[in-house]
Amino acid sequence: MADKKDYAKPGEYKPIDLLAVAAAREVRDGDVVFAGTGLPMLAIMLAQLTTAPTSVCIYEAGSIDGRPIDLPSSVGDARCVYQASLATGLTEAFFGQLHRGYVDLAFLGGAEIDKYGNVNTTVVGNYLTPSKRFTGSGGNPDINSLARRTVFVMVQEKRRFRENVDYITSPGWRLLKWPSGEWISKKDLYGKFFRGGPEAVITNMGVFRFDEEGVMYLDTVHPGFTPEQVRDNCSFDLNISRVRGETKPPTYEELELLYTKVDPAGIFLP
Amino acid sequence: MGRPKKITLKEAAALIQDGDMISFSGFTIWRRPMALVYEMIRQNKKNLHLFEVNGGTHTEVLAGAGAIRIWESCWVGHELYGKLGEAIARGQIEGSIIVEDYSHGHVVARLLAGSYGLPYMPCALSMGTDILNPEFDMLRKAGLRDGSNPKIPAMKYAIVEDPFFGMGELLLMPAANPDWALVYASQVGDEGTVRVFAQTYTDAEVIRAADKVIVIAEEIVPESYIRQEPEKNLVPGYAIDYIVELPWAAHPTGSQGYYDVDADFIRNLYAASKSQDGFNRWAEEWIFGVEGHEEYLEKIGVTRLEQLRANRVLGYSTRMKRGSR
Repeated sequence: MADKKDYAKPGEYKPIDLLAVAAAREVRDGDVVFAGTGLPMLAIMLAQLTTAPTSVCIYEAGSIDGRPIDLPSSVGDARCVYQASLATGLTEAFFGQLHRGYVDLAFLGGAEIDKYGNVNTTVVGNYLTPSKRFTGSGGNPDINSLARRTVFVMVQEKRRFRENVDYITSPGWRLLKWPSGEWISKKDLYGKFFRGGPEAVITNMGVFRFDEEGVMYLDTVHPGFTPEQVRDNCSFDLNISRVRGETKPPTYEELELLYTKVDPAGIFLP
Repeated sequence: MGRPKKITLKEAAALIQDGDMISFSGFTIWRRPMALVYEMIRQNKKNLHLFEVNGGTHTEVLAGAGAIRIWESCWVGHELYGKLGEAIARGQIEGSIIVEDYSHGHVVARLLAGSYGLPYMPCALSMGTDILNPEFDMLRKAGLRDGSNPKIPAMKYAIVEDPFFGMGELLLMPAANPDWALVYASQVGDEGTVRVFAQTYTDAEVIRAADKVIVIAEEIVPESYIRQEPEKNLVPGYAIDYIVELPWAAHPTGSQGYYDVDADFIRNLYAASKSQDGFNRWAEEWIFGVEGHEEYLEKIGVTRLEQLRANRVLGYSTRMKRGSR
């Protein structure tokens, strides 16, 4: 019988399980975490059950430090407020918590990302004549502006990892100074409001981080992939010289918690 | 001010004029006044200016019906039950809807300014993004920032230097003061004091920011009851102009303490909304094909509604299958 702390072998877990576990490992104990719907919920709840028991979760619709006994299916869900310290609203979440500086970590998503961590969730093509409209920004850029660390969970595809995204919805490490539109570092633009920025990008193929210049590099590859395969699934020239090795797979304990405690009903984990 | 007037759903919808600027209570697929939205469509409202913190199922129904001319917001979709806002997307791509994109925090800031009676609210949110690209100021491009419409500010935002602490650049977001707040609330006292259960979203801000307020209440309760715990209340009755009492008025969106989101209903609407023809057929069945809210509820049926009904302790349904297991 395998020990619960052993790592599962290929074929014993699904790609989405690894995403949830890799994201959960980004949570440090005590973090105030701002999470969106879906995988971020799995990540924070798993982290609370394992390595970060005193971390707390804020959902942007207004629940502060809830302790749901049933997995919410959206951040506005009635389930989010169960045993919360506060049931409040967006003014508290965005201004009282985020703008004031309580938020340590946030999990975010995106349709496209560039090498500086700028993310597009708005349109495909020229904004004035778009060929496709996504949901729009939501709170993604606000959270990415003022949380100390952000982690993006995304699908790895060449068309999604781009030299330049069609529309910068959410601010990475180098962005645009208005009204001129010249490129500027986030630190210079945000001045004394600067607190940090994108720390990691987790995809179905690997975990990426950002170097001293704010440029994305490959940190670990998921089991079954090579760094070259990951680079081939990026449109920009991905730095694979700093790869530390393979991403640690889920442990049997993490898998058990995900399927029996976090999402037993199969809402996000099919 | 004074006490709010109790009216019918049809009377409430008739108050809203073509071209009015409106905003809603709720959040994505929660606590939206859907019965009122359907009635507005039966009454053929057009050219509406919808300003909202985020869109949801109600936005898509209004956009699908061709009722929206301007949409100022930051997000639209049906959460887990429909990942995009197909009707808003079609309107933006075809040019029938002027879309002014902000971020969540920006829209909250605009509502906060409006709700506090201030002309603008500062924030340091989403700076450096294309949301602030001057070329993408769509209301200016449409010639609508010329002062002729008092509800449209002269600029999308302003960049200023912090004059007090040397914090650097920050944004000023102009106030939003819609003509109407269209609100679904859990309970309203018979003199108008409003209470919502669980998250408050931006409901209080929308109510205070708007010139006139219609509240669709799940229940009207004795004012003496709602005043026993005033700390649980959202706004006083004198902030409300009209009340309609209408159980299940938020369906298919959810209402904490009363009923859950009707996921299958929204999935079907989302699938239909992928084409205009599909949406039209859906609207023919669920909006025009019923006389009003009562017939709509009868069509959904008691069995379905009972599955959605919230557990009285937990505030959400424990009897529906939510996932794959």
